[in-house]
Amino acid sequence: MASAGSGDEKAAAAAMITLISSDNEKFEVTEATATLSQTIRHMIEDGCTDGGVPLPNVTSKILARVIEYCKKHATAAAGEEGSSSSFSDAAFLEVDRAFLEELEEFDDAFLEVDRATLFDLILAANYLDIKGLLNLTCQKVADSVKGKTPEQIREMYNIVNDLTPEEEAEIRRETQWAFE
Amino acid sequence: MPPGKAHKASAAGRDLIGALPDALLLHILSFLPAQQAGRTCVLARRWIDLWKSATGLRIVGADGESPVRFGDVWEFVDHLLLFCGCSPLEECEFRFVELSDGDVPRMNLWIRHALMCKVRVLRLLVHRTGAAPLNPEDLRLVSQHLTRLNLGKLLFNKFLDFSRCPSLQDLWIGSSNFVHVDRISSVSKAPNDRKRFFQTPVLETIPPLLGAVVQINHACADRCSHDDYGNCCYESCKSCMQNDDSCLLLQGLSQAKNLCLIADAKTFVFRRDLKWCQTFTQLKNCVLNEHWCVPDVRALAFILEHSPVLEGLYLILFSKGPKHNVEMKGSFNPKELPCTISAQLKRVEVKCAGVDERVVEVLRFTFPRKDGLI
Repeated sequence: MASAGSGDEKAAAAAMITLISSDNEKFEVTEATATLSQTIRHMIEDGCTDGGVPLPNVTSKILARVIEYCKKHATAAAGEEGSSSSFSDAAFLEVDRAFLEELEEFDDAFLEVDRATLFDLILAANYLDIKGLLNLTCQKVADSVKGKTPEQIREMYNIVNDLTPEEEAEIRRETQWAFE
Repeated sequence: MPPGKAHKASAAGRDLIGALPDALLLHILSFLPAQQAGRTCVLARRWIDLWKSATGLRIVGADGESPVRFGDVWEFVDHLLLFCGCSPLEECEFRFVELSDGDVPRMNLWIRHALMCKVRVLRLLVHRTGAAPLNPEDLRLVSQHLTRLNLGKLLFNKFLDFSRCPSLQDLWIGSSNFVHVDRISSVSKAPNDRKRFFQTPVLETIPPLLGAVVQINHACADRCSHDDYGNCCYESCKSCMQNDDSCLLLQGLSQAKNLCLIADAKTFVFRRDLKWCQTFTQLKNCVLNEHWCVPDVRALAFILEHSPVLEGLYLILFSKGPKHNVEMKGSFNPKELPCTISAQLKRVEVKCAGVDERVVEVLRFTFPRKDGLI
């Protein structure tokens, strides 16, 4: 271990970051977990994390879930410290399918949430800039509308159709090739 | 804002999807097969033009996984690309059942379109083998933006040139047929003419390579019953290349930081390349299988001795996975290592189906103990 006064990087590796949710709940996480969020990574780089990182857009309920995701995926990337971040998700790890399967199982279980929570997770992932979580949650929404007609999608997500029947017919005519 | 009625409703009755900003809706749309993304234009006024700016273009089956018939979609794709114009693309994916000679020129045009849209991830998969060959003369891959390229079950013609994709970090060519390929290149030099059936093409140096996974399956004809290193002296041997002076793969991979080199143990592709004695100056992590440990550990020893900055070594021995029955982790004591092996080698992992004699021999080598026991 590095002694005091030297090896800033090593000291930082074990450092804890405090995240503060919109309802003022505090979460202590390792820097490795926190930096899955590009937003927080930049804050750490700029040295503005002393006294905690306020996240006014994220409730404690959602933040707890986000941290759960980051912890799991940070351990996944832990073996790759020092190497480029794009490496951990590169095909290299495809060889270790058992490991990837475990991660997939985690992701599947993680997505077992009600729709409102799913959308809150999307907004949080977007705000915190966590690419993996954003893709995972957006993919889930995309999957839910796959194979559905526009009418079914409207009903499913309570989308109010503000087009007049004439307008809708006109758009359908213009994009007929998409409806064949 | 939605009308008052929706406003008061419970979470279950809210227009959740409509509450997202456009950028996120586009992100969601980019995961849908293109036909379905297109159909969202009639959902509501806000959605009319949204799909045209989606950052992903997926020409795939309705379930998002299965392939589509080229004949069923070409008209649609032509329309789609016209409508979307040059809106920037993050990902573009094509999955076809098969490709005929007549389809290829149109396919090439679409790929060129995607490259023009600054696509970063491009996937082209053809499910039925025996598809029409892609001729790189007609499809020059030129892009400053392309970082990931996946090509599956394709038949390639002539040589593959990735030299004009300087940002390419991740190249995956799976289950493909290189029958007509004589080299895979990043620089354009006069080729050594070697055209042999089912043999490994020459891979020329790809300098900015971050990682590479090369898997060579049992269908590869680069094998010889006389010599495990592809150097037999029999005139009749059609596999070994007498007086051949080209290093096939390892030379091209010698600048990579991370390598996964998996080959059928009976082929000699990688082992044959060792006689060119490349040094893997950047190699940090390396995944190898039993190909490197038969008939003995010489090939494995070679890699270790020629990788001066290697940090992690991962061996998958006689085990197909996905789950491996036995997993072992260890680390080298730098003081006990021979000076020819990277002092930075920290992690060694071995995965195998069971510990038999073949595995024990490798373990003796990777985890040496003074008392000779493992």
